[in-house]
Amino acid sequence: MADDRLAARLEGFLGARLDGAVHLTHLERSTEGFSQETFTVDVDVRRGDTIERRGYVVKREPVAGLLEPYDLEPEFRVLHALSDDALPSPPTPWFERDPAVLERPFYVMERLPGDVPIPAARPDGSGPLDDADRATLGPAVADALARLHAIDWRARGFGFLGAPAPGRDAAIRELTRWEDRLARSAMPLHPALAEALLWLRRNPPSTDDITLVHGDYRLGNFLVTRDGGTAQLSGILDWEMVHLGDPLEDVAWCASPLWRAGTPYASALLAPEEFAGRWAATSGRAVDADRLRYYDVLAVVKMATIMLTGIRAFRDGRTTDLRMAIFDHQLPYLHALLGMARGWLG
Amino acid sequence: MLVPVETAIDGLVRTLLEAVLPDVGTRFARGQLYAVVDILRNLRDRVEPKAALADAEAESALTALDQAEAACRGAGAVGEAARIADAVRAVPAAPPIDRATALRGAVSLALEVVDGLPPDAAAPARAAIAAHLTAQAFRDLAVLKPSLLTEISKG
Repeated sequence: MADDRLAARLEGFLGARLDGAVHLTHLERSTEGFSQETFTVDVDVRRGDTIERRGYVVKREPVAGLLEPYDLEPEFRVLHALSDDALPSPPTPWFERDPAVLERPFYVMERLPGDVPIPAARPDGSGPLDDADRATLGPAVADALARLHAIDWRARGFGFLGAPAPGRDAAIRELTRWEDRLARSAMPLHPALAEALLWLRRNPPSTDDITLVHGDYRLGNFLVTRDGGTAQLSGILDWEMVHLGDPLEDVAWCASPLWRAGTPYASALLAPEEFAGRWAATSGRAVDADRLRYYDVLAVVKMATIMLTGIRAFRDGRTTDLRMAIFDHQLPYLHALLGMARGWLG
Repeated sequence: MLVPVETAIDGLVRTLLEAVLPDVGTRFARGQLYAVVDILRNLRDRVEPKAALADAEAESALTALDQAEAACRGAGAVGEAARIADAVRAVPAAPPIDRATALRGAVSLALEVVDGLPPDAAAPARAAIAAHLTAQAFRDLAVLKPSLLTEISKG
C-alpha cells in the first residue's frame, strides 16, 4: 500500500476514534523495529478553534518477519491493560484486525517522548551510553524490570498468555516454543546450536515463581529522555514476545552479551552481576545461578532462531527487507556467543 | 552462508528496484542505482563462494569426527562410533560447499550420539568436537567485516 493511501486510511481510522476533526500531518516508517512494521504518525485534532497535536505509533503485522507466524492481539491486550500502570509502557488504545483498514492487523500506541539507544558501539569502539547516562539509566532499567515482574498477572487477567505449572514447565515451554520456531524455519542446524539445544533439553531448571515476562527487555527497546542532561527511562517498547514464565529469563536476556555493544555491561548499562543484584534487591527475588545460566544459553538460542527465521524469509523471497539478509553473515558471532555461554569457547 | 549467492543477488536487486529506487530523488543517482543492478545481475552467474573457506572447515570437521569416533571406540561405545563413521562416509567428496555443509550435519549428529553416553565416556569426544567448533568460530569471525548496525538501524 502506497504511503498516501496508508495515510488516508489511518486518518480515517483515527478520525473515527478521536473527538474532533483529524488531519494527519506526518507519516514515516521507522527503521528501529526489525520485526513488525512500525510507523510514526502525527495528527492535528481540531475542536472548534483549538488544534491539539498528537503523536502515535502504529505497529502492523509484516508480510514476513522474524517472529512469524504473527498474532498481535496478545501483546495488544497486555499493553492495553497496562496503559494505566506506573510502568512506562506506551498507552495502547486500539487494535484492528479487519484487513479492509490497513490490509493486515495492527494496533495503535500513544507516542512517548525520547530516543531509542541501540546496542551498537560508537565508531571509536566505546559503548552507546556515557558514564553519566549509565549511572541513572542502569538502576532505572533494573528497577523497572522488577516492577514489571511484580505485576499481578492473575488480577490483570493475563492468564490467557498461558501459565506454566510450577516446576520445570516454564523452562520446557520456552525451549519448546523456540525449538518449534527453529523447526518452522527449516534451516540446517549448525553444530553450535545443536550442542546448546542438547544441553538445554537435559537441564531445564525448576521454579515456582511465575511472572509476566517481557521477553525482549534489553537495550534497543528502551525509550530514553534527557531531562536537564540526566538520562531517564521513559518507555519500555516491543512487547511482542510477552508471556508468562520465569522472571530470570528477562534478567538473562537483558544481561546477554548480545546487547553489550562492545562494553562489559548488561545492555551497555551495568555490570551483569550488578544488574542482577539490583533487580534482586528491588524485586525481593533471588538470582539462582543455575536458572540464570540456563536462560543465558537460551537467550542466544532465541536470537539465533530469530535470525534463522529472517534468513528463511529472505531466502524464500518473501521479504525485500535486507535486514533479514544481513543475519546470514552475523550468525558466526552467535555461534561464538553460544560457545562462550556453554563453555567450549574460553 | 545459508543463502546461496545467486539468491542473495536476486534479493538485493529486488530490494533496490522495489524498495530503494522509488525514493531516489535525482536522475544521476537513479542512473547509478540502475548501474548497480546491471552489475549485480551480471555477477549472478559468474561468482561462487570461496572454496578455501569450505575446505578449511571440512578438514577441521573431519579431524574432529575421526577423533570423536576413536574416543567412542576407546570407551567401548562401538555402536556410537559406527554411527559417526557412517555419517562421515555419507559425506560427498565435492563440491567443497556441499562437503562442508554435509560435515556440519555430521558434527551435529556426532554431538547427539555422544550425548547419550555417560559423561566420562563422552568427554574426550566432546572435547574433540569443541576444539573444532572453537577453531571454526575463529575462522568465521576472521572474515566478518565491522558491523554497520547503527547505520542500518538509524538510517
